[in-house]
Amino acid sequence: MTSPVIRLTLRGVLARKFRILLTVFAIVSGVAFVSGAFMLTDSVKTAINSLFQELRGDIALEVRTPIAFGDEARAKRDPVPDALASGIKAVAGVSSVELNITRESTIVKPDGKPLKTSGPAFGISWVGQNGLDGRTILAGREARGPNEVAIDKASAKRAGYVMGDTVTVVGPTGKGEFKLVGLTGTGKTSGGGGASVCAFDPVTADSFLGAKGLADSIYIGLEKGASRSTVQKDIAKVLTSKYEVIPGEQSAKETAGAINDIIDIFGKLLLGFAAISLFVSAFLIFNTFAIIISQRLRELALLRAIGASSLQIRLMILGEALIIGIVATGFGILGGVGVSKGITALFNATGAAFPSATITISTRTIIASLLVGIGVTVTAAMVPALRTSNIPPVAAMRPEMGFTAMQRGKRLVAGAATLLAGIALLCIGLFVQPGGAIGILGASGLGAILLFLGVASLSTSFAAPVSAVISRILPFPIWPMTRSVAGRLASRNAQRTPRRTATTASALMIGLALVSTVAVIAASVQKSFKDRLQGSVTADYYVTSDGFQGLPPAFAEKLAALPELGKVSPFRASTAQINGESKQIGAVNVDMGDIVNVKLTSGSFASLAKGQILVHRDPARDLSLTVGSSVTITWQNGTTSKLIVGGIYSDSSIAGNWLVSLNVLAQASTAPPVDFFIGAKIAPGINIDVARAAVDKVAEEFPSAQVQDQAEFQKSREDQLNQLLIIVYCLLVFAIGIAVLGIANTMALSVYERTREFGLLRAVGMSKRHLKRSVRWEAIIVSVFGATLGVTVGVPLGVAVSIALPKSFVNGIQIPITTIVFVLLASIVVGIIAAIGPARRAAKLDVLEAISAI
Amino acid sequence: MTSTTPTLVAAAAALNASKIYGKDDSEVRALDDVTVDFTEGQFTAIMGPSGSGKSTLMHCLAGLDTLSSGKVFVDGTDLSGLNDRELTVLRREQVGFIFQAYNLIPTLTALENITLPLDLGGVEVDQTWLNEVVSAVKLESRLTHRPSELSGGQQQRVAVARALASRPKIIFADEPTGNLDSRSGAEILSFMRHAVSDLGQTIVMVTHDPVAAAYADRVVFLADGKVVDEITSPTSEQVLDRMKKLGS
Repeated sequence: MTSPVIRLTLRGVLARKFRILLTVFAIVSGVAFVSGAFMLTDSVKTAINSLFQELRGDIALEVRTPIAFGDEARAKRDPVPDALASGIKAVAGVSSVELNITRESTIVKPDGKPLKTSGPAFGISWVGQNGLDGRTILAGREARGPNEVAIDKASAKRAGYVMGDTVTVVGPTGKGEFKLVGLTGTGKTSGGGGASVCAFDPVTADSFLGAKGLADSIYIGLEKGASRSTVQKDIAKVLTSKYEVIPGEQSAKETAGAINDIIDIFGKLLLGFAAISLFVSAFLIFNTFAIIISQRLRELALLRAIGASSLQIRLMILGEALIIGIVATGFGILGGVGVSKGITALFNATGAAFPSATITISTRTIIASLLVGIGVTVTAAMVPALRTSNIPPVAAMRPEMGFTAMQRGKRLVAGAATLLAGIALLCIGLFVQPGGAIGILGASGLGAILLFLGVASLSTSFAAPVSAVISRILPFPIWPMTRSVAGRLASRNAQRTPRRTATTASALMIGLALVSTVAVIAASVQKSFKDRLQGSVTADYYVTSDGFQGLPPAFAEKLAALPELGKVSPFRASTAQINGESKQIGAVNVDMGDIVNVKLTSGSFASLAKGQILVHRDPARDLSLTVGSSVTITWQNGTTSKLIVGGIYSDSSIAGNWLVSLNVLAQASTAPPVDFFIGAKIAPGINIDVARAAVDKVAEEFPSAQVQDQAEFQKSREDQLNQLLIIVYCLLVFAIGIAVLGIANTMALSVYERTREFGLLRAVGMSKRHLKRSVRWEAIIVSVFGATLGVTVGVPLGVAVSIALPKSFVNGIQIPITTIVFVLLASIVVGIIAAIGPARRAAKLDVLEAISAI
Repeated sequence: MTSTTPTLVAAAAALNASKIYGKDDSEVRALDDVTVDFTEGQFTAIMGPSGSGKSTLMHCLAGLDTLSSGKVFVDGTDLSGLNDRELTVLRREQVGFIFQAYNLIPTLTALENITLPLDLGGVEVDQTWLNEVVSAVKLESRLTHRPSELSGGQQQRVAVARALASRPKIIFADEPTGNLDSRSGAEILSFMRHAVSDLGQTIVMVTHDPVAAAYADRVVFLADGKVVDEITSPTSEQVLDRMKKLGS
């Protein structure tokens, strides 16, 4: 025989299926984002790892130059001389040696336009039928001689090339025409994971790809039966210490690891969003349970009267929460599959190449989802469940003797204390910034939660007067709702139960507080970004690359040779260590001083020509550098440069924090350099259209180049920022969706609670339409109340966060008035939407039945 | 009149019981120094006009509400000394309830409602006794129905069965026929009469209906929080007569 508590719990859930379904939905979305985040990262990582593993193919060992520090995967290594290959080939056990030359090479379609790819566009060196690196010839044969090329089957198909066609390829040294002799694939697939591949024989690769006798690394295949570790030791012996021999899978792992890091960031973003949506859901659940319990007051009191202990009642309520949690988690995990697939599809649609992967649902995903889904539900139901101990058994006969609510004074103190603690923690997190990123996020996150809880609790005290004010000024000052009976009833109802009004509004309050916080931060970031760009974008043209590897230096040289242009300078960068910390060091030629305004505060730009370094004022302050002091830079290849500070500047928006000359940067690596962007000025007296035409003509030879004038450049940078902000807004809108659900749910419950009252109103002559209107008005009052609170909390929060952000990121606060007014107006719509269901339900009540309801 | 010292062997008793609501000017004495006891195996009706304190007396006797001063006993146990947990056990094991309405848990079937106090206490149901109770209230064919599928009279019969099922020391009934038509009411009252006469149950019933009171062995009259009168083996005419006097 089942325990009566379990039976009561199950029956209780079944009796309130619809109500509970709404609650479940709120949790489902939160859990879906948690599990989706894990599934997405797990499956994409698995796919990426196996893709890179496949690309490794039969490479047993690889020879490359080591780096002194930093990120193995992204490091720009010194190249390896081709000449080393013969020595390695002679080592016993080595079956084959291949040069790894990988450079940017774009396939030009028959119509003259470059073939767009979602991954990198590679030109590589290829020996024999099948390469060590897992690439295979699917049709035809490998390229032999200076006039032949093999390209990957997927790209050939997309570009519309067939065997025997003449293919135009643009590589680092310029344009070339080759006869298509073979189609390649990778492992079992016909593509290169979103990349395009042009394969040349090693000699052609060396010249066309501009390798100049140097390879990125050397791949080594082993004879059958040879011991890898023995061969590895033997190869190390024939090489100097300038080179390292690593197992073939190592660099694959490093590259995959670097990509996985990006995926992880994405996963964390999703988890952060899940946290917000769960926090809002928790309020909704709390709310639903609080109302369900007061509705069931008589039933619970009856149970107490006939001998149920208060523990049994509490267990019953928590049991219901548990069931909701379990059901929601189940749906949430299913939803997670959808989230994960949806995001992959969304990103692939916008051009990213997430490898197609089967969704991986690991035990960790399920455990995390269960913990989150059940944990949040049960925790949120805890307080209402504990409150049932206050139900006196005598309420079974005298329902008016229900709860003794927390005293106003007590609640004010508790609410104010929570609020103050929250503000204090938030300030500590934002401004004292203890314990790095975790400290900042932890303290300010917890602070924000306490802040919201405090406001929610305090709002009960002023829900009534504020509702009164709202109903007096809405919809417009001319015709306040209190003039109509429906409006007056709605207003009185909102004021009569301030506790319910406040809790209902709290979910929306949090959602909108977050939106307005983000809106303020976004507006401030946007404004600062725009201001800075306006000040520093002084070049007439910016050339950037939409490829993966930047622009070949030849481009800048060709631009500099144009008589239509005046000053031209490329911008390059390399990783280096200063004082033991990794920094990005930029390099330009002296002309850049006239192209981009970095706002020098001391020293001169010309000092770059003397091999000196320019430093942004923030790091200069941190390291107490002034003009004339010296800095030691350790490059990734291990060489060091001791540089004199030639100037301090204050604008890092384009040039970054450290600037040296191109010559100085050449010490960082002997690998061929690539330019991140090129800045150029029009020569004096030249017409703007003439100059543009000349630049565009050069750009035709470099398919990945994008030429932008000042306005276009500025717009494209702003667009990048806006895109990011739109994603953030979308996610927050979802949180508001949950809040709408909360209001709808509470309104439905309160309609149910007032069945008798509505019956009475109908009996004395209120029309269905009026009744509906009354319910709708009440929902509007509640949502406007929530929105007002949310904006009141969110705007100062956004200002505080904006102040706490580094100056280089935000300087100057911008409050987006339009957005905030829009949010307030939108809350009216939220109220109307939330009231649709409940109003219909109230109007459908049968008058007689409603009156006789107990 | 009853003896002024209640016999501790009584099924339930109140000793100098007072219950005061509100403070100072708004003070209301719902019970004013009430001393009364309820003999085992007897069917007692408590009567009185509205506001006489009859419901309050019952709630306090049953451990649902607490006194301002004085003592109440159930089966010799002083309820003022019990904490919430002990009171819960007392209500579950020693006391049965029949309310005017909303007696049943809407999500449970009739049978589940009947055995609920036993189930809550984890007590094995005595099947023979249960069958006897169920057949006494003629509910055999309705056991699997939910309260919403039962008539008002049937619902009250379920409530009577639930009160009897745990064989409590005493059953408190609060206007059990208040919401019923006279035929169903008469049925419920005969079941209660039968429970006392044939099954040896003790019942205390609050009512304002002289006809209902006539089913009892004894009627105690309350007015303004005090016991003012009592009749043994009443007839409805006698009761009505007394009520009229109290009202004047």
